[in-house]
Amino acid sequence: MIADGVEDEEKWLSAGIAGLQQNAFYMHRALDSNNLKDALKYSAQMLSELRTSRLSPHKYYELYMRAFDELRKLEIFFKEETSRGCSIVELYELVQHAGNILPRLYLLCTVGSVYIKSKEAPAKDVLKDLVEMCRGIQHPLRGLFLRSYLSQVSRDKLPDIGSEYEGDADTVMDAVEFVIQNFTEMNKLWVRMQQQGPAREKEKRGKERSELRDLVGKNLHVLSQIEGVDLEMYKEIVLPRVLEQVVNCKDDLAQYYLMDCIIQVFPDEYHLQTLETLLNACPQLQASVDVKTVLARLMERLSNYAASGAEVLPEFFQVEAFAKLNNAIGKVIEAQENMPIAGVVTLYASLLTFTLQVHPDRLDYVDQILGACVKKLSGREKLDDSKATKQIVALLSAPLEKYKDIDTALKLSNYPRIMEYLSDGTHKEMANVIVQNIMKNKTCISTAEKVDALFELIKGLIRDLDGDSQDELDEDFIEEQNYVARLIQMLHSDDPEEMLKIIQTVRKHILTGGRKRLPYTVPPLIFSSLKLVRRLEGQDESVSGDEASTTPKKIFQLVTQTIEALTSIPVPELALGLYLQCAEAANDCDLEPVAYEFFTQAYILYEEEITDSKTQVTSIHLIIGTLQRMHVFGVENRDALTHKATGYSAKLLKKPDQCRAVYACSHLFWLDDHDSIRDGERVLLCLKRALRIANAVQQMSNATRGSSGSALLFIEILNKYLYFYEKGVSQVTVESIQDLIKLIRNEMQGETSPSDPAADAFLASTLRYIQFQKDKGGAVGDKYKLIIV
Amino acid sequence: MPSRRRALLKVIILGDSGVGKTSLMNQYVNKKFSNQYKATIGADFLTKEVHFEDRLFTLQIWDTAGQERFQSLGVAFYRGADCCVLVYDVNVMKSFDNLNNWREEFLIQASPTDPENFPFVVIGNKTDVDGGNSRVVSEKKARAWCASKGNIPYFETSAKEGTNVEEAFQIIAKNALKNGEEEEIYLPDTIDVGSSSQQRSTGCEC
Ligand SMILES: Nc1nc2c(ncn2[C@@H]2O[C@H](COP(=O)(O)OP(=O)(O)O)[C@@H](O)[C@H]2O)c(=O)[nH]1
Ligand SMILES: [Mg+2]
Repeated sequence: MIADGVEDEEKWLSAGIAGLQQNAFYMHRALDSNNLKDALKYSAQMLSELRTSRLSPHKYYELYMRAFDELRKLEIFFKEETSRGCSIVELYELVQHAGNILPRLYLLCTVGSVYIKSKEAPAKDVLKDLVEMCRGIQHPLRGLFLRSYLSQVSRDKLPDIGSEYEGDADTVMDAVEFVIQNFTEMNKLWVRMQQQGPAREKEKRGKERSELRDLVGKNLHVLSQIEGVDLEMYKEIVLPRVLEQVVNCKDDLAQYYLMDCIIQVFPDEYHLQTLETLLNACPQLQASVDVKTVLARLMERLSNYAASGAEVLPEFFQVEAFAKLNNAIGKVIEAQENMPIAGVVTLYASLLTFTLQVHPDRLDYVDQILGACVKKLSGREKLDDSKATKQIVALLSAPLEKYKDIDTALKLSNYPRIMEYLSDGTHKEMANVIVQNIMKNKTCISTAEKVDALFELIKGLIRDLDGDSQDELDEDFIEEQNYVARLIQMLHSDDPEEMLKIIQTVRKHILTGGRKRLPYTVPPLIFSSLKLVRRLEGQDESVSGDEASTTPKKIFQLVTQTIEALTSIPVPELALGLYLQCAEAANDCDLEPVAYEFFTQAYILYEEEITDSKTQVTSIHLIIGTLQRMHVFGVENRDALTHKATGYSAKLLKKPDQCRAVYACSHLFWLDDHDSIRDGERVLLCLKRALRIANAVQQMSNATRGSSGSALLFIEILNKYLYFYEKGVSQVTVESIQDLIKLIRNEMQGETSPSDPAADAFLASTLRYIQFQKDKGGAVGDKYKLIIV
Repeated sequence: MPSRRRALLKVIILGDSGVGKTSLMNQYVNKKFSNQYKATIGADFLTKEVHFEDRLFTLQIWDTAGQERFQSLGVAFYRGADCCVLVYDVNVMKSFDNLNNWREEFLIQASPTDPENFPFVVIGNKTDVDGGNSRVVSEKKARAWCASKGNIPYFETSAKEGTNVEEAFQIIAKNALKNGEEEEIYLPDTIDVGSSSQQRSTGCEC
């Protein structure tokens, strides 16, 4: 008989409201003229509107609220009547003459409320009478609202401790009895609703019942607010009675909702002290009840409580909360064979959060939970269920967040075992979480064993897992690999031997990474190795003399082999840079043959692999710069290497590049801090050769463009002349400088020379520098004064 | 005739769950406070008699569930409210950020005749926690928001210690009373109401 459409329902509601308002209007008139008879008549007619069966719970609630508001005015009137001498007992009788039962009971509850206030009868008797009388309405919707009305008007009149309606010793019990009875009746009505009506409307009924749920649940809220319900009473009476009703009603909707209510409305301390009772109810619920969500909410609540302060933790220990919850979860999972894996993981994730909060020191508990999870996962394919995956990531992230320390997670034997069940994508995601966690907490991982475990754990980042070998380097990939690089740099042991083991371990792992990853992972490992070399450098030879111990030589061998891994990719420029870095480190260790070998490798790469002319330019400058800093070489080796370097310089493709590389080579022959490397002749040779090339550039320019090129190269060379002049290279003479300046001026003033602001500015500042040095006085000033510009 | 109607003032308390709505009501009505957290289900009210300008009023204070899953029947009880109290926890930013949602939701659902001037009162609760050290919403910020919404009166309270609770409810009652005076008056369009309801109801005997 429920209206077909929303529109019809609106119509019925409007009609109901109109009828209600009209009667209320006459009721008000009666109230204003103190006409009790009319007041009762019109209020009963007004309440008849609530007899409708045409409204959904939502709409009915609207109508009910209007009637509710009107009844408050009537209540005030009743109170006034009694103060005018009308007997409340008589009033209580009088309202029972109303024709229809529903209006009659609403009126009775309203008078009853005044009755209790008058204290002419004990509250508990009136309440008992009312709660019994309400049985007269067996229509679920109407019955639920009527009883909720009773509950509301009696709300502040319960014979509770400290309340003004407090009776004898059993007073709290009376209040509890009243509420539980009302709750029980309401739950029965609510459950029965599911069974009434045609089967085809089952879904709709489910929805309507769901809307009505709070009317039932509110009784539990009222119970929790009764002052006298202490732990004892809760444990002995309230919880068992409520659970009895929940279990026995055998209705999944009611059971799921009411369990949630119990968990939310009663305090944490009570739950802890009655954990067993509450948990024992779970397996007794209908199979279709979502017990895992119920349990997850319970654990969430208790976790929050545990987080509120260390002083509450003893309560948890005392009742062995972990064991009980763990046991209950095991049972639920066992009982519900078909529980989806996402549900299982959700449960374990909640238990884990709980455990981390309550027993942060019990790693064995944590591992036990992970182990139970592995057990459920074993025999399955890798997970591709997104919900389960999300839960697993939560499960695995929880210990990291708690301990802020991968070290602790590495102690959990089941941790890597769970990772095995992740799909490759999720495995990588989780590995990222782990690496980020290490970065964030600046965790130091200091043994090779742990490094091995860690790299095994994050293998999704270290190598291609089966089946995901995409070739393009997207941004995510690069970011990931940069994180791995940072991670490698963070590994550290104070013990050199252990550090070498760490390096070997990392090497083992990263060499499986393939050509995409090596350019990211090799450099940090090389630098980490060289750092170790430098650490050893200061050490006494005799200490690290024996065979097994860590020596720079050994590390250099390892490093060489590691860089060689790059040749297959190939990234010659990177490898060349690394070889040069190694050469410098070998230099610092006074290992001439090793340093020479590294240079040789770099040169081979230069000659055989680096063919791009731009790369050649940057590489040659890198070579020259490094070579200049080397002091370990004897004359022969040094000659061989510098000879090659100048040769390479002169063979660069573009003339200006040649010119610059050649004048840079001049530095290879004059080292300030080295008495043995002061060969002014060859410095001059380089500079002259550079000048010749610069000239050639100009001629070429004239030939091809009909104008001379910029004088920039000449000015650059002039600056080199000044540098070596100042250093006291006797071959660089005042005359040669003056000639060069003249030459530059000629070049710049020539008819065919282009205007070049950069060259103008450079020359001007060079001349200013000369002037500045002159003004300085002293030996330098004297030297510069000889230059006449 | 209006005297009886105005003797009752309806107040609705809204805000995120856990901010202390129930505690404020209990502190004001019963002078009691409990540290235990007990969720509220549905809507629940307590009444309190207040004297104002030599007259007696009954404040009907509606406490609500902040969690949606315990508000299954909707908010029909907003109707006829005379004042709406918005509560947040000064230690939880999100609860402050949500005030706007609560205010708008109330105005939509209660649809008061003059939404611009409908009386709200804002309460920042739990000022006692950690001696005020865990506070994240400054009084200045809260007052600025109140000012921007038409000068909503603002109070900072501790339901636990009872600080400022009485004062806040004084203003709540005062503003509710101001609003109550403007209540609409219903006039029937026909005098004959005889048995109209009888015809619409179903044949059920109750
Ligand atoms: N320290 C402190 N705790 C409070 C205060 N008000 C409420 N609480 C606590 O906060 C929790 C939630 O309070 P409750 O009134 O149930 O919040 P509601 O969900 O908004 O009704 C309870 O544990 C209260 O004990 C207060 O002013 N100070
Ligand atoms: Mg509450």
